[in-house]
Amino acid sequence: MLVMRRRAGESFLIGEDVEIEVLEVCGTRVKLGIVAPDSVLIQRKEMQITRDQNINAAGSVRQHNISSLLEKVSFQPAGASVKSLTPPSILAKRRT
Amino acid sequence: MPCIRTKCFGEMEYSTDAVYRFPHGLPGFETECDFLFLEQPATHPLMFLQSIATPEVCFILLPVLAADPDYKLSLSEEDLALLHLPPGRQPGIGEDVLCAALVCATSEEPCGPTVNLLAPVVVNLEEQIGIQAIQTQTKYSHRHPLIPRESEQELVSCS
Repeated sequence: MLVMRRRAGESFLIGEDVEIEVLEVCGTRVKLGIVAPDSVLIQRKEMQITRDQNINAAGSVRQHNISSLLEKVSFQPAGASVKSLTPPSILAKRRT
Repeated sequence: MPCIRTKCFGEMEYSTDAVYRFPHGLPGFETECDFLFLEQPATHPLMFLQSIATPEVCFILLPVLAADPDYKLSLSEEDLALLHLPPGRQPGIGEDVLCAALVCATSEEPCGPTVNLLAPVVVNLEEQIGIQAIQTQTKYSHRHPLIPRESEQELVSCS
């Protein structure tokens, strides 16, 4: 990993087209300004992690996984305090 | 009443009042904007977030407090605005908002089933608007194990 020290007001370039400027440093947070072509995707890393994790989560919704989840995991009682969002009529009208 | 094919519970009718709107979808599923929350006594405390447009798109949710009773929300001002919540104050879990984590239920992974506590689904119950909010304080893991490490001897590192 390349490590570089910069102060507020200083910037650096990535390739020809991407410029990143340190706008402000405040305590543990840094405010950055980014200039890049529209074709360059800029996103927080957490967003990419969440996208990948969502795709895995959706793929894991299988009956045997659900059964095994309910069998193996002892959930914290705090979860029981959450009020129901599903109007009873919906599940009552289940067709199959 | 409209009818929907669900991934886990077959076909069912639903009331349009029960639809929750996710204006930006969820990361990876940006075009899925309308969802139903489905719950059944047999799968309590799990909930199912079922897309109305695509039967295959369904997520298992667990209320965050069931995964971590001390869970704290830290929503950004942008996320508060998206949820139509007042700025400058974190909403109460279970009072102003529902806060639930997406479960990755796969049993093949070394850590077993995990929940994403980094990016919970947060829903304004009053207005039926939801988002998946990436927490601004990232002390929470996107793969928080549901089975405590010590109870499974063979588990290896989750990271």
